Amino acid sequence: MSKAKLTPVIELRGLTKQYGVGDAQHNALNGIDLTIEKGEFITIMGPSGCGKTTLLNILGLLDHSNDGEYFLDGTSVERFSGARHARIRSQQIGIVFQHFNLINRLNVIENVALPLTYNGMFRTRRLKQASAVLKNFHLSEREYYMPWQLSGGQMQRVAIARALVNNPSIILADEPTGNLDSKSSHVIMEELSDIHKRGNTIIMVTHNPDLTTYASRVIHMLDGEIASDTKTPIELEKSNKKIPLGMHHKETKAAKKPTKKRKTTKAKKK
Amino acid sequence: MMRLFIIEHTQNAYYSLKSTKMRTILTTLGVAIGVASITAILSLGSGITQVVSRQVQALGGNIAVVRPGTPANDEKNAANPAIEQTYTLSTLSEQDLTDIESIDGVDSAAPIMITSGSIKSSSATVQSDPILATTPALLDIAKLPIRDGQFIDSVTNKDTAVLGTQLSVDLFGTDQSIGQTFKLRGQSFTVIGILKSIHDPINFNNVDFDNTAIISLESGKSFHQGIAQIQQIDVRAKDAKDLPKIMKEVDARITKNHLGEKDFSTLAGDEIARPTSRFFTNLINIMTIIAGISLLVGGIGIMNIMLVGVAERTREIGLRKSVGASNSNIVWQFLVESLIISILGGIFGYIGGYALAFVISSFLTFTPAFTWEIAAAAFGTSLGVGILFGIYPALRAARKDPIEALRHYH
Repeated sequence: MSKAKLTPVIELRGLTKQYGVGDAQHNALNGIDLTIEKGEFITIMGPSGCGKTTLLNILGLLDHSNDGEYFLDGTSVERFSGARHARIRSQQIGIVFQHFNLINRLNVIENVALPLTYNGMFRTRRLKQASAVLKNFHLSEREYYMPWQLSGGQMQRVAIARALVNNPSIILADEPTGNLDSKSSHVIMEELSDIHKRGNTIIMVTHNPDLTTYASRVIHMLDGEIASDTKTPIELEKSNKKIPLGMHHKETKAAKKPTKKRKTTKAKKK
Repeated sequence: MMRLFIIEHTQNAYYSLKSTKMRTILTTLGVAIGVASITAILSLGSGITQVVSRQVQALGGNIAVVRPGTPANDEKNAANPAIEQTYTLSTLSEQDLTDIESIDGVDSAAPIMITSGSIKSSSATVQSDPILATTPALLDIAKLPIRDGQFIDSVTNKDTAVLGTQLSVDLFGTDQSIGQTFKLRGQSFTVIGILKSIHDPINFNNVDFDNTAIISLESGKSFHQGIAQIQQIDVRAKDAKDLPKIMKEVDARITKNHLGEKDFSTLAGDEIARPTSRFFTNLINIMTIIAGISLLVGGIGIMNIMLVGVAERTREIGLRKSVGASNSNIVWQFLVESLIISILGGIFGYIGGYALAFVISSFLTFTPAFTWEIAAAAFGTSLGVGILFGIYPALRAARKDPIEALRHYH
C-alpha cells in the first residue's frame, strides 16, 4: 500500500505565505518545495513561528498561499472554488487538532459522524459508519457520552475517529498530542501508526522529538523554510532500492538519532 | 440531496435551538407579537369590509343601488363616505325614483334621504342622530325588523315616525315609546313603530338604524322646501337574474332624465360596499404598517440573537468548515435556524392574533374574518422576516476564516 506512485499525493512548488503589511510583513513560508508520496508518515518539527502550522493549514486547504503552487493528486488546487475546497476537505483530508475541537453539545458518535453530513449521507447511515469507526478505536461503549465526560486521550481518539470517518487519504495532525500526557500520547501515536500502516498518508506537526520515531520521514523547518528533510531508517529499509520521486533526501546525523530512540523506547517497553 | 439538506439543517437547528431554549422562546415571542398584531388588524379589518357585502348577499343578490355622482376614486373622499353623501348636492330626483319603479322586473324601489337636525322630546334632545326620510318599500328591501308597532306606510299619517331602539331610549328613556311625540324643526311627530335593535351600523344604506328616526319622504321633503334630496335609491329586482338588465335600464332612464348627463352610478354586489370598504381599507393599511413596526422589532430580535449564536459558535463554524462544510452549508445552517424561529413565531402569532381579534370583536358589532390572504400574509411576513434578518448573521458566519475561528477562545 505504501508503495510510491507516479503522481505524488502532495507536491508544493515555491509555496510562499506572507502575513502582515508594510514593515510588519514577514514570510511565514518562504518558498517551500516539497513532495509527499502516498503512504508516507511525515512529522514536521521546528521552533514556534517557523511556519509548521501555516504549512499544515495550507495543505488542509484552510488557508491560501500567496505564491507558489500546491498540487494535490497532480492538480493545482489554487484554481478550485471555495466549494470545491470544501469538498476536498470533506472527502480527501482528515484533520486532527491539538485542542480536539469536539462540539460540546453533540455526543461522541454525532461528533464522529459530523463530516459525513457534508458528504450528503443520511443520519442513520452516518451514525452506523461512525459507530464502525469508533469500534476500531475501542470507544464503542462511549458512543453516547458527551465530550466533556471523556479524558483528554479519549477526546483525541474521538477526534481522530472523526478525521477518519470519511476514509480520507491524507491525515493532517497539528500537534495531536500537545495537550496529552505521555501515556495518552503514546496511545494516540500508536493509533496514527496503525492508520499509517493501513496505507494513509499522515502529516503531523509536533514539538516532541520523541514522536519522530513513528514517522517515515522527518522534516525540520526554520524561518519558513525546510531546514532538513530526512528519511528515517524504517522507510529506507522499506523502499530499499526505489528512491521516491521528488525530493532528494539528505542522509544526515539527524537520521540516525530517531533510530536510537526507537530502540530505547522499545527497550523501555520490554 | 435537497431532502437531505432540509432534514439535516432542520435537525441541526432543532438541537441548537433546544440548547438555548429560553433565548429561542423569547425571540419567537418577539416575532409572534408582531405577527399577532398584524393578523388581528387584518382579520378585524376584512371582517368589517365583509359585513356590507355579506348583507347585500343576504338580501338575496337582487339589490342594486343608485347613488349620485360617479364612483369616487378620490382617496380623500373615500376616507369619509358620510360627508360625501350628506353634503353633496344630490342629483337624484323623485322622478328618477318613479321611473325606476316602473321598469319591468323591478319589485320595488326605496329612496334614502338623510337629513339632520335636533330631535326633541319633552324630556331630552338628541342632536346628531340621522333622520331618514323614505317610503314604505324600504321595510322589505332592507329587511328591517319591526319590534313594536308598524312601519310607515301609505295609509299612515304624514307626521308619524319609526324609531331605532337606541334613539327611543335616548329620547324617552324607554324602548316602549309608541304613541309618544317628538319635535323635528318645530314639526311634531308621533312614534308608530320601534325597530328591533340590529347592532349593525355598517350596512349598504349607510344608516345606523338603531339610532335613526325614520319619517316619510313627504315629511323629509317639507324640510327642504318640498324638494327630495335623495342620497340613494335602493332597487330590488323580482329575480336576481334580471338585475344586470334592470341596472342597464335604470342607467338609460335616469341618464335621459338628467338630460344625457350620467351624473350617478348604479351599483350592485360588492360595488355597493366599495366606498365603505375603501375607507376601512385605508385605515387598516395604516394600522397594519404600525403593527409592522412591532414585527420589525421582532426581526431585529432575531438578528440580534443569531449574531450572538454565530459569535458563540465561532469554533464550531471553524470546525465544520475544516471537516468539509462549504460556505453555503454554513449559511443554510444559520438561516434555517432563523427561519424556524420566525415561522414558529408566525404560527403562534397567527393563532394569537385571531384569539386577540375575537376578544376585541366581542366589544364590536362584527367578527374577524378568516381569509387565505391573512394566513398568507402572516406566513409570508414571518418567512420574510426570518430571511431578511437571518441572512446577515448567516453570511457573517459563513465568511469566518476557519483558522481564525478555530483559534477562538482557546
